[in-house]
Amino acid sequence: MRRLPLIVLLAVLAAPGARAQTREVRIDIAGGGRRTQLYCEALAAGRLPAGAPAARPADEVLAADLEQSAVFLVSRAWSGQPPFDVQAVSGGRWKVAGGQVTLEGEVRDFPARRPILSKVYRGAAADWRSLVHQFADDIVLQFTGETGVACTRIAFIAPAGRNKELWVMDLDGAGARALTADRSIALSPSWSPDGSLLAFSTYRDGGSPHLYVVPAVGGRLYQVSARPGLNTSPAYSPDGREIACTLSKDGNSEIYVLDARGGSPRRLTDNRAIDTSPCWSPTGREIAFTSDRSGSPQVYMMDRDGGNVRRLTFDVGYTDSPAWSPRGDLVAFVSRTPVGFDLYVCGADGTNARLVVSGGSNENPRWSPDGRHLVFASNREGPYALFISDLDGRPPRKLDTGGRAAMSPSWSPSASRMAVAVPTNAPVSNPGGRP
Amino acid sequence: MRKTPALLFVMAVGLVALFAAGCAKKAVEAPPTPAPAPPVVQPTTPVPTPTPTPEIPVPVPTVTAGDFADVFFELDSYALSDDAKLALDRAARLLRDKADVSVTLEGHCDERGTVEYNQALGEKRANAARDYLVNAGVPAARLQTLSYGKERPFAEGHDESAWAQNRRAHFVLR
Repeated sequence: MRRLPLIVLLAVLAAPGARAQTREVRIDIAGGGRRTQLYCEALAAGRLPAGAPAARPADEVLAADLEQSAVFLVSRAWSGQPPFDVQAVSGGRWKVAGGQVTLEGEVRDFPARRPILSKVYRGAAADWRSLVHQFADDIVLQFTGETGVACTRIAFIAPAGRNKELWVMDLDGAGARALTADRSIALSPSWSPDGSLLAFSTYRDGGSPHLYVVPAVGGRLYQVSARPGLNTSPAYSPDGREIACTLSKDGNSEIYVLDARGGSPRRLTDNRAIDTSPCWSPTGREIAFTSDRSGSPQVYMMDRDGGNVRRLTFDVGYTDSPAWSPRGDLVAFVSRTPVGFDLYVCGADGTNARLVVSGGSNENPRWSPDGRHLVFASNREGPYALFISDLDGRPPRKLDTGGRAAMSPSWSPSASRMAVAVPTNAPVSNPGGRP
Repeated sequence: MRKTPALLFVMAVGLVALFAAGCAKKAVEAPPTPAPAPPVVQPTTPVPTPTPTPEIPVPVPTVTAGDFADVFFELDSYALSDDAKLALDRAARLLRDKADVSVTLEGHCDERGTVEYNQALGEKRANAARDYLVNAGVPAARLQTLSYGKERPFAEGHDESAWAQNRRAHFVLR
């Protein structure tokens, strides 16, 4: 809960060409309204590390990371822009030796150019992008007290004809790969909290959908639940020990909690209505879910033992797809419109429901691990694609999925908790371990 | 007591009528056999007789998935309409007549609704159809259910006519 509004006191130029004068600027970053003006200078060496397979120069990767952090307004030195009205400057240099690359990253205030951040990143040349992402995340950490999300990954479902496969990619679209090739229907991916596994639902066995788990870096699939009827909508608990899901083995769709290997089912709901789409609170003490027990689908909350059931909000009709924010204070959900769904966010107590995204159909919202963004699937620009809202009224931006249609996104945990694809100088938590 | 003769008369008439009917039926069922014909001497030169066209062998008619009409539903509903019950009554007759036929009932939904909710709704639709057939005398062991939610639309459009076609329980032979 490090939600300290960071107040940055910086001297800025009042206007170009005018008499230089200094004034104090208060920037409440956590408030989300204003963004710090950051000037990206090209990294010395100015080009990619040797042997790096890249679609974009590293400078652009860094600038895009910082831009999409929703913390900075970025201007690029290499596009010819002068450092006008900026508050900080990023830069640094590359060194390449053998297969290893070293990135010395720097951020300085402006115009005094006093150091704010200086850090060295080392790794394999092939992993140069992750070094850049880590530098971007550290810059966000320096300015906000919370690490950024540039190192995170997105799992999603890519339709292919009548089938759907599970894919995963870096947040910026690099490194996309399919985790299934079943020519079946994969649905509803959910990351384990250590970032090593994805649980999902699939029709790959023929007949009803079953729950499977696959390593996030790819590999064999493990069947977790193949009980009669539906095995759908999995969600790892925040401690990784359990999976909430929907089963209909007892004749009707109900919310259950399984252990992480699929055993010991514990039933949480018991009624004749539809109950599905469970989602944990970040403490693991409560579960939000969808039920049509009142006649139409609505989001409800309950305690982790199934007790204390209450409807989330009465402000909006027909609600579904709950997603609890990482800080626990907000719940995102969708509400039906004549053409699909709009995206809403309300307090976890159901108050202050506000429309976040509308236009077309906007589905399956999932929070970024820092709680600054929502990723969702939308047909707002044509075929279903992934978009990110920064919850600040700006238009959502489309994620690069390599031209693939995409739906049902799931945002990985933050890089500091992930066991995969971290630079060699970063601590590796729970290396290769199952939750 | 005074009614007795009348009653006896009625019964007597009835018996006579039954007897007559029985006789008539017997006459139909067992026609008199003709006297054996005298042996016919075959002519020495065979006269080509028109050979009867041989009966073309045809397979015993089987039940196909096309014999089962889809069962349609209203938006967000798994209640059976009168039309749905008519379709299921026909399916129940077919399944009772063909004891060797087993079916899977697929539940489908239109695209309005989330993936996960529609999977549950599709199952409700398949179950509603299955329960109706079981109540109509079809053994439950011959009926399986499977929900595809909105993942296998029948009509690809994005309007009410497509949606109405996609809200259905669909029979597949096993």
